[in-house]
Amino acid sequence: MENITEAISLSRRKFLKNSGLTGAALFLGFYLPVSAKAGRIITDTALNNLEPEIEMNAWILIDTSGKVTLVDHRAEMGQGSFQSVPQIISEELEVDLANIKVIFAEGNQKKYGSQITGGSSTIRGSYKNLLTLGASARELLIQAAAAKWNVPASECYAKSGHVFHKPTGRSFHYGELVVDASKLEAPKNVKLKPRSEYTLIGKPLHRRDTPLKTNGSAIFGLDKRIPGLVFAVVERNPRMRGTLKSFDESAALKIPGVKKVLKIKMAVFGTYREGVAVVADSTWTAMKGRKALKVEWDDSGFTHMDSADIYSQQEEALKTNEGLSLKKQGDPDSMLSNAENKIDIMYQTPYQAHACMEPLNCIAHYQEKKLEIWGPIQAPDWVQSFLSKEMNLPMEDVVVNMTFLGGGFGRKAFLDYPHEATLISKEIGLPVQVTWSREDDMTQGPYRPGVTYHCEGAVANGEISAFKFRMAGQNIDHWQGTERGKPNSSTTEGFLASYYDSIKNLSIADVPFETPIPIMWWRSVYASTNGFAYESFMDELAIAAGKDPLDFRRSYLKDERVQKQIDKMEEISGWKNRKKNEGYGVAITECFSTTVGQVVKVSRDDAGKIKIDQVWVVMDCGWYVNPDIIRAQVEGSIVMALGAATIHEITFKDGLVQQKNFYDYNMPRITNAPPVELYIMENDGAAGGVGEPGLPPFTPALTNAIFDLTGKRIRKLPFDLTAI
Amino acid sequence: MKLHSEIKSHNYLPGKTMIVLTLVFSMIALTSSMKYKSDFHMSDTADGVKKDSIESVKAFMKVYEVLMSPRCMNCHPAGDAPLQGDDNHVHTMNVVRGPDGTGLYAAKCSNCHQPTNVPGLHTPPGNPKWQLPPANMKMVFQGKSPRQLALQIMNYNLNGHRNKAQLLEHSKDTLVKVAWNMGEGRTPPPMSYSAFVNVWNEWINKGGYAPKQ
Amino acid sequence: MISLNVNQKTYQVDVDPNMPLLWVIRDIIGLTGTKYGCGVAQCGACTVHLNGEAVRSCVTKVSRAEGQKIVTIEGLSANNDHPVQRAWQEIDVPQCGYCHSGQIMSAAVLLRENPNPTDQDIDEAMSGNICRCGTYLRIRKAIHIAAEMQKTKSNTGQTKNSVSPVKI
Repeated sequence: MENITEAISLSRRKFLKNSGLTGAALFLGFYLPVSAKAGRIITDTALNNLEPEIEMNAWILIDTSGKVTLVDHRAEMGQGSFQSVPQIISEELEVDLANIKVIFAEGNQKKYGSQITGGSSTIRGSYKNLLTLGASARELLIQAAAAKWNVPASECYAKSGHVFHKPTGRSFHYGELVVDASKLEAPKNVKLKPRSEYTLIGKPLHRRDTPLKTNGSAIFGLDKRIPGLVFAVVERNPRMRGTLKSFDESAALKIPGVKKVLKIKMAVFGTYREGVAVVADSTWTAMKGRKALKVEWDDSGFTHMDSADIYSQQEEALKTNEGLSLKKQGDPDSMLSNAENKIDIMYQTPYQAHACMEPLNCIAHYQEKKLEIWGPIQAPDWVQSFLSKEMNLPMEDVVVNMTFLGGGFGRKAFLDYPHEATLISKEIGLPVQVTWSREDDMTQGPYRPGVTYHCEGAVANGEISAFKFRMAGQNIDHWQGTERGKPNSSTTEGFLASYYDSIKNLSIADVPFETPIPIMWWRSVYASTNGFAYESFMDELAIAAGKDPLDFRRSYLKDERVQKQIDKMEEISGWKNRKKNEGYGVAITECFSTTVGQVVKVSRDDAGKIKIDQVWVVMDCGWYVNPDIIRAQVEGSIVMALGAATIHEITFKDGLVQQKNFYDYNMPRITNAPPVELYIMENDGAAGGVGEPGLPPFTPALTNAIFDLTGKRIRKLPFDLTAI
Repeated sequence: MKLHSEIKSHNYLPGKTMIVLTLVFSMIALTSSMKYKSDFHMSDTADGVKKDSIESVKAFMKVYEVLMSPRCMNCHPAGDAPLQGDDNHVHTMNVVRGPDGTGLYAAKCSNCHQPTNVPGLHTPPGNPKWQLPPANMKMVFQGKSPRQLALQIMNYNLNGHRNKAQLLEHSKDTLVKVAWNMGEGRTPPPMSYSAFVNVWNEWINKGGYAPKQ
Repeated sequence: MISLNVNQKTYQVDVDPNMPLLWVIRDIIGLTGTKYGCGVAQCGACTVHLNGEAVRSCVTKVSRAEGQKIVTIEGLSANNDHPVQRAWQEIDVPQCGYCHSGQIMSAAVLLRENPNPTDQDIDEAMSGNICRCGTYLRIRKAIHIAAEMQKTKSNTGQTKNSVSPVKI
């Protein structure tokens, strides 16, 4: 990039090393939006004497031997970017996926655009650029070949890493063309393949990270090692925002291997949390040292919440406060006051922990005003800019490397743990890996906020005459410093826009609610809780209207794509052929530009317990890359939703989190996973998300099915599936 | 057998008067109990203690309190899954007894339960022999009345084929003792280990009588 | 000094005998395929084979393992081709992948002891291994596939890569 003039040595050489390139290499680094300036050449001799202007953060790298390296600019936390990003680029670049190498990008928003792996945005946010990138590189290589042969480019085509001259059958491999190609200007307005010509995109290809994950060779954050690394754990203020009064490290320092004990202060969005770090020669020694600490905290200056208070305050606010309006059409209030049968319901959803299988951890190496980070990081570009600001370092002196992530779900987009590792490294002058124990991970937040919903409605003549929806829960945006006093725009997340066209009297409002508890995105964010309220309420309205719940939704969701989706749900679930002693429930939600409908079937087993027999999923995510990855994401989303609906609740007592580990925050196990059948709608719509949208409809479809079977409405989560 | 008819006449103890407290019967114990089976003769003056149905039953009621405490009952469940916690909830992770009581496949007791306790709350309690009774000798405590439990313990065919001496000895088994050393945060049985041994011995030595209910 | 046999190699480690085997394997010996997940034998991410049993290394003192035979995920097969590994590759079981070292080690014990497991056998063997990504349906399916592979010894040496479609 234009303004990188210093600091090339360390990370750039390492980049070359990591990509394993030999000989001269072509680096195709495209800027966003894709511009004409494309090819750069680097030669053997230059490897140790890099030109400052050389674009190192390229997306495509080809060396003279024809070796192709593609860069995955997003985190790989299980959602499949390590496969799907190269699968897209290779489609247009015309290279064999089996013969390429994939490496993770460093954090750098200027080069890659947003890298935050959240909002199910890896594909939907990048795919057009990735396609154009691949096609532009291919065209450059074709032009270079055509020039060498002195033939029109239109007589040449690319396939499997080669350019062929159609009339004569001559060919060059890409490596033979990189030197020439690097001197060309990248073409403007490259033509992209129509979907019908795709050979890779749309195919359920194997994930290239799978073999790494079956023999222990995938390097997660916790597995990363660098020379001279020391290990640390931190005793943090258990009330998440408090400070440190005093500590006694004498016993800890007597433990062989404990090197240093120090106070640290890490950022928690707009505020800070204090703790005591124990640095040792191994993680376990550091853990032993931590147990020997004596620490006194200062917990003044903020409210110590109890869960019961949170929910009663939310309920109270929803009774009296009309909130900040997000959407209003017609006059739902007067319709409600005139209604004969008003439906007035509250729904409640709990705080949730992300509980990634890989607890938080991060390596930081701070040296001579340079900082390098390695870790399971969802937002390397955010970490880079945050630490640049926080540590007062120029952006280019903060290098952020992603490893594989052992789960993310939103938690690893938070910036506290890289900050903490950085502070420790700076203080001790050594590279350090900070590991959070499972208990740290569970008790320190941030959490998905607990939310109470107040839904009021009325039906007349079998139709919705009023629909009033209010939400009271913490606003995640506030933690990120956005202006207060505005409604939480996420209040409508999960709700299908198509309803606005058909429900005449409707209002949606956010009743502001704050606590000192740190909160953060949790897979599918507000749709994960809103979806339960919206789609439970829709079901209650359908029953009140005396209508079939699926038909009822169909009569309101007039959007053509949704109509087709509902037809498909009806077809694959056998909705019309439901038998006695079977409960069927339906829910349809929108999340990150993807609409997902689910039908859940429940029955009672021999012991009389509720059993989830089947989940049918119909997903409309528009343009998509890899249907098997989508299937995996949907299967996993349903298990995560099942845990959130039937097991999980983070509770607070005097400002302390009461759950600590899997013994009191148990996970669904293999016995609990219900069978899932997925159908992906085929259409030419723009790409929607796939990592999260499968989650929100599951819970309401399940509770609606339970109502269908038992007549019992579930309005508060979590509920005990075995006790119905 | 003399004892056999005597007890029958009292209508208290059917079958052979054998007992087992615990959890576990190793194959060695089974074999040796077979060997000594015919040597066992309980008499009025066994170990110099007079038979006394009232005192024996009284002692058993104390034994019963211990056996029904979570520390003992959790490994003597009615089903094939062990229980956990002071509330006797079913052990998480879907673990099951398996044929010999040591668990199944990748979910064997000793995969998590170490020879000794692991420090900290909610960590697996330890014992070198940690297991449930085997599938062919389940020795269920859960749901048993005092009478049912006493009769079961006294039944040679249900108690791991233990004679009196072996029953008395059994209270010293490490897997019995572990109930009083189950790691942090677990409520111990309602009396001390030595008090338990006393009532156990008293119950058996005074005739091994079962309560009426 | 404690002598450990890990993946058929002998290591002399100078550590506190109370140190959990997990941390010895990861931080002293340097094999990082075995994962830390909970530290209290709740999740199974740290599962290794100790004399063939699927032991939770996070609660196993290194002293228990002294002189015993330890196999970690890195040593399960020479070429990533144990039937369980091949079955995992066949249907792309892992998502984030963090728990799968433990899942695979557990599944390998199940299949050794029960070459033809039913769904219930799988439930009973595998419920001690948590997967937060929720790959359970595929774990179940892959174990059935591995059972078949084990029987027929088919597909030996056939590695999956990203150009071949997943059979679904």
